[in-house]
Amino acid sequence: MCLAYPDVYAVDGETARILRRTRAAKGKVGVVSGGGFGHIPVFAGYVGDGLLDACAVGDVFASPDMNPMLEAVRFADTGAGVLCIVGNYGGDRMNFDMTCEMAEMEDIATARVIVSDDVASAGPDEAEKRRGVAGLVYVFKIAGAAAKAGMDLAATTAAAQKASNACRSIGVAMSSCTVPQAGKPTFEIGDMEIEIGMGIHGEPGVWRGPLQPVDAVTDTLLDHLDRDRPLGQGDRVSVLVNGLGATPVEELFLIYRRLHKRMSNAGVEIVHPMVGNYATSMEMAGASVTIMKLDGELEQLLSVPADCPFWRNL
Amino acid sequence: MALTTETLRRGIARVQSKIDTIGPEMNELDGRLGDGDLGVTLINGFHNMAKVADTLPDDVGMALFGCAKAMTQVSGSSFGTLMATALMAAGKQAKGESDVEWSRFPELLASAQEAMILRGGASLGDKTLLDSTDAVIAATREQNTPNGLQEAALKAASDALDAFRDKPNRIGRARIFGDRTIGMDDPGMVAFLRLIQCFDDG
Repeated sequence: MCLAYPDVYAVDGETARILRRTRAAKGKVGVVSGGGFGHIPVFAGYVGDGLLDACAVGDVFASPDMNPMLEAVRFADTGAGVLCIVGNYGGDRMNFDMTCEMAEMEDIATARVIVSDDVASAGPDEAEKRRGVAGLVYVFKIAGAAAKAGMDLAATTAAAQKASNACRSIGVAMSSCTVPQAGKPTFEIGDMEIEIGMGIHGEPGVWRGPLQPVDAVTDTLLDHLDRDRPLGQGDRVSVLVNGLGATPVEELFLIYRRLHKRMSNAGVEIVHPMVGNYATSMEMAGASVTIMKLDGELEQLLSVPADCPFWRNL
Repeated sequence: MALTTETLRRGIARVQSKIDTIGPEMNELDGRLGDGDLGVTLINGFHNMAKVADTLPDDVGMALFGCAKAMTQVSGSSFGTLMATALMAAGKQAKGESDVEWSRFPELLASAQEAMILRGGASLGDKTLLDSTDAVIAATREQNTPNGLQEAALKAASDALDAFRDKPNRIGRARIFGDRTIGMDDPGMVAFLRLIQCFDDG
């Protein structure tokens, strides 16, 4: 990644486990994340001006340990404190908890936002147990923009938390991925089968059945999202139609076509749509849909330009 | 006479010199109930702590944090994470101090225990390391010398092991074995006792 984009990324850290901006920012809240590889551009791909300042990376689907996380926090700290954006996974959370304790011993103020946007992974009454998936991208963007705008740690954290609360996601898979160390597919699925609601590591979903036309699959996804948080006339949203790795972008646009029609019919306005591979699961075939419901602040922060190979400004 | 970073260094060196014989026993014990990596965690952890010992700062709190960092560098296992958690919690209590009175040992251990309960989710009585630390905290309250502490801790950890041997494990992978764990020693409790025994001869 650094070889391809040397103006954007640099590798750093005692064990070369952090990716960071080429130059440290000045006088702003730091924003960092961390997580396993296998989801490019999540996590480390979103390092860039107006996004993450640094990111700790682990092995495929494995949390980095606390040490690179602490290095990322130290790099990002300019005296204004550091916000850590954490996907809701046991290892990531525990290691970031320890990182923040360590940072506080070094007199660096820290805050955490846990992203848990996957509606298929737990019901609304247990929303705090949901996994973090493609909604991470929105939270990175909003936090990065808030920090760039000069908000302090509390305000940056509040904006990121608001973005996280406003995101709902659900995925559909047609084939599994294979974790290199395991050497075999994480789950078995027939050629003519799909699974709704699986996680970005191949965690089991909520429904499995025969392959259906794209409009029907999109309707199922949107129905799940709508049941969780109904949208109506006059609502403004940003949507991310995300490919999981092995699905042609052409098909993602077919999903978007159906989604656009449904939103139009419901009187919901789409702002800053994104269609492409933003949060992948290696060679898994499938897609996810993330909807972030906007208010004035989120819409403004979303529109702030960011500089990163994986983010397109509109 | 107090706990300093120098004392800590000597302690690490002491454990390091014995850990290669303790490790295999722990792997064996853990292999019956868990994933069998407890010994590896201890061996790698203490060797890495020894590696960084000379660079530890005089601030005992920061030195304990340095030990925690060294632990997490070599182990992502649950026991390694809990040890790091314990060291950090104790470190927080000692931040900014270059010598800590021995009489504060139970207080530091109590913070460590509380942090391990929060992070690991086990409760007292589940037949884990916590039941040993709890017994040691109670037994060392009146002690203010290293030898007194060691003797009281040794007896308490040993008694706790005896008291829990015939109870079932209630948490972690060992819980799956249920009543079959009756009569077996919990590997974490044994590990804690072995660490205390490293200081048998003063």
